[in-house]
Amino acid sequence: MKPKKNTLTALATLMLASWAAPNAYAHDPVFGLGPHTLFKGGLELHAGAHQEKSDSRNTEAELELKYGITGDWVAGIGTGYGRLEEDGDTQTDRTPTTLSSKYRFWRNDMPGAQESAAVLGRVILNDGDVGHHDVSRQGEDYLAGLTYGYEGRKWYRWASIRHRFNRDGANGAERPDKTKVDLVGGIRFTPTEYREPDWVWMLELNYEHTNRTNRVVEGLSRELGGDQLFLSPGLMWTYRNFAAKAGVQAEIYEDFPKGQETDDYRALIELEWHL
Amino acid sequence: MKTLLSVIFLMALATPAWSAEYRYELKVDGLACPYCAYGIEKKILTLQGVKDDSLDIRLNEGLVVFDAENDKRISEAALKELVNDAGFTLRGLETRVLGDEAH
Repeated sequence: MKPKKNTLTALATLMLASWAAPNAYAHDPVFGLGPHTLFKGGLELHAGAHQEKSDSRNTEAELELKYGITGDWVAGIGTGYGRLEEDGDTQTDRTPTTLSSKYRFWRNDMPGAQESAAVLGRVILNDGDVGHHDVSRQGEDYLAGLTYGYEGRKWYRWASIRHRFNRDGANGAERPDKTKVDLVGGIRFTPTEYREPDWVWMLELNYEHTNRTNRVVEGLSRELGGDQLFLSPGLMWTYRNFAAKAGVQAEIYEDFPKGQETDDYRALIELEWHL
Repeated sequence: MKTLLSVIFLMALATPAWSAEYRYELKVDGLACPYCAYGIEKKILTLQGVKDDSLDIRLNEGLVVFDAENDKRISEAALKELVNDAGFTLRGLETRVLGDEAH
């Protein structure tokens, strides 16, 4: 049996890691959500990696394939591989398979700009949770979100809200739901043309709320949940049908019960091809 | 006389359909980023008769220009659907014949 500290660390890390699964579409924010979809019949190959550092270090790489059902509706499937380093011990395994879909229900196209809104859903299957076997889930988790975005030749802005419905742990332990709200601004300093490399710089404000709950772990009562606010600089680089983006989340505010593990930082890098 | 008419008839049958090279200028709304515009390129290059190297996407003008050689012009309705499938809106279209008719 693992020491108590490992179990508690695993619980907190599972909640954070499972939340941080990339939801990326290239011209969307790095950590937040945007309404960007894919052209009809188009394929998108997406590879991403993120790292979280706290008492443990969790690194995950994800591969996702998306298909444009229409110009405003996209569906995707993804999976990944994770590595958890904790107290000198390293565990590696598959991360859960995800099924996702996004539908852009409103679009206002203007000369040189696009304003739109979308809903999205994601199912996180219960088929992999690296390093968290002792708190495996009873079933699938679900995520639902709503997002708005304005994309111009120079300025960008996004707003989004999403809620993750977490299944309880296999041992009956409650895994609290999470809500996340994102506000993002972006700028393209030079309005590049189609066949030129393109840079967009972003600054995100990411708020996360985890429902509070009490959990007894190995006879020890533990309060989980709370609020966090992050400031996250990021950038997107694209060239024709290839995109790369990266960002770092730095915590600027937290309200968690004492002793609960939180991340020192989170970093994310993603690559994407449209085919 | 019969022979002459027969020869003319056969020559008429043997003549290929008249085709012409057209230039299409599409005013497209929503074109904000180069990466998103790739869908337009993919869609246009699936059209029959399009000359690949003629495709020019001018983001700062919101303009998509390409040449295509066809028996008849590509309809505005077809181009509107194509642009919508790429995730944008066709606001205006200008088409003109390039040079002399071929064949």
